[in-house]
Amino acid sequence: MENITDINQIKMAVLKKTAEYAYEGKLNEKVEDIVYELISGPKPQFRCCIYREREIIRERVRLSMGMFPKNPHYKKTDGTQVVHVISAACEGCPIARFTVTPNCQNCLAQKCIKACKFGAITKTARGAYIDSSKCKKCGQCLAACPYNAIVDIERPCKKACPVDAVQIDDNDLAIIDESKCINCGQCVASCPFGAVSDVSMISNVIDVIVKKENDIYAMIAPSIEGQFGDASVPVLKEAIKALGFKDCIEVALGADAVAYNEAKEVYERVKEGKKTTSSCCPAFVNLIQKHYPEVMENVSTTVSPMVAAARHIKKNHPGSLIVFIGPCIAKKNEALKHYISEINYVLTFEELAAMFDVKNINFADFESAAQDATKYGKGFAKSGGVTNAVMEVVKELNFDTPIKAVKCNGIAECKKALLLLKNGRLPEDFIEGMSCEHGCINGPAKVSEVMASRKVFDKNVNVENGDISKTVSDFEMDKLNMHRPK
Amino acid sequence: MELKVCVGSACHLKNSRVVIEEFKRLISENNLEGEITLMGSFCMGKCGEKGVSVMAGNEFYSVIPEETETFFNEKVRGRL
Repeated sequence: MENITDINQIKMAVLKKTAEYAYEGKLNEKVEDIVYELISGPKPQFRCCIYREREIIRERVRLSMGMFPKNPHYKKTDGTQVVHVISAACEGCPIARFTVTPNCQNCLAQKCIKACKFGAITKTARGAYIDSSKCKKCGQCLAACPYNAIVDIERPCKKACPVDAVQIDDNDLAIIDESKCINCGQCVASCPFGAVSDVSMISNVIDVIVKKENDIYAMIAPSIEGQFGDASVPVLKEAIKALGFKDCIEVALGADAVAYNEAKEVYERVKEGKKTTSSCCPAFVNLIQKHYPEVMENVSTTVSPMVAAARHIKKNHPGSLIVFIGPCIAKKNEALKHYISEINYVLTFEELAAMFDVKNINFADFESAAQDATKYGKGFAKSGGVTNAVMEVVKELNFDTPIKAVKCNGIAECKKALLLLKNGRLPEDFIEGMSCEHGCINGPAKVSEVMASRKVFDKNVNVENGDISKTVSDFEMDKLNMHRPK
Repeated sequence: MELKVCVGSACHLKNSRVVIEEFKRLISENNLEGEITLMGSFCMGKCGEKGVSVMAGNEFYSVIPEETETFFNEKVRGRL
């Protein structure tokens, strides 16, 4: 075992061990062994001591088996919460937000002291000093300093959270306020100590594969393009089947059906003078539900592509089990909350990568060029893609009323548009809301950085494969129930 | 009322999926879609119990998959 030095390595090492023993059918008896296999000691690899390292691994194994960390804060957790803090891994980063750096020239103008309305800054022989007990974190001193000597340092988890759901407890450890959390996974991706993570269903999926009692179908999000080097969707579908799945279907096909349905819905609403938001991003829908409930009625009643694709598979293969595989943490929450009888399991690309690794999958061994979805459905994975597909349908069906759309790339832009909508000042008819900047291709559970994967994505997706209306009718997606439960 | 079924690895091995399928069928057959929301849940911390962990509203139950229908009729419908 090579030394673990990086947070992604820690997460992957645990997922791989879990997958390995799950494939061998020995996971339950090996749970505690995993801890010692990964942290053999006696010298620590990434933390102060092996005992802390082992505790972190132990908590991660729990998460990988669908359990929560042993965290007293989570005694009353809502069982659908996916994102959790591993207290043993939380470094309790110091949070004196406004700090004076050595850039301070101890100048005579004392602009920072004059700017502070709360008397929190004093002059010392070594420069300005901010008394954190008096500081109200208004930022006036930072703006006033002519030498840029004052910095605003916030804990990465708190800074990343778009809805102020990360709180700090009396011991400086991060805790998540579930009443605010939208499970977007930004804190998971941003914590430099890997102290926030998502709960997994990987062992359940592998158990079904190993037992062979049920046919199990995988469906892959279009953002998979570019995640595994230059392996394209047709090749990845074959590789995924080699893991033990009966078949693998593109969720982009569901996206074609969603665009088809949503365009018609938006068109009808525009004629009535009403506005619509997209409904495919679960973190965006959670954002509306928890933080902008006034505009919930504007959310498209169309299901997400994940659900459309699942209904398509279930229609053709009744009694089969279905696994969604994507870059998204919030999808786990969406499936648990609304679709547990339709989508049995949700995996992330990280978890898929662990399975590929355990089964020694080599993409070069597979060959295929079979595509299901159009380039528009596949385009859902990137910011602007939903709008693009909806507009394509408007064109294909010759709608006579134009639809104006706003593309919200990332949660900050989503919040801005929702505020306008709430106040009745949104000029556009349709909001495309994507929680992750760049779209799903930059999801928190991706395995390839967006700057690298984007090139492969653009190249592989931009292949002519028919128009949306024809695809929807060819695959009989127009006969599916495309509505969300109320 | 929320009806939550555990999908943690221990309840999975005790066939929580069958409990979910049964609940789905019973909700549909009795036209209770408007009154019961069927949900999945990660581990409820009662892995030692004999059956699959289920929360009906705020009440915890351990349900043997083969006895799901009886449980539904006695405990779930009784709570509505």
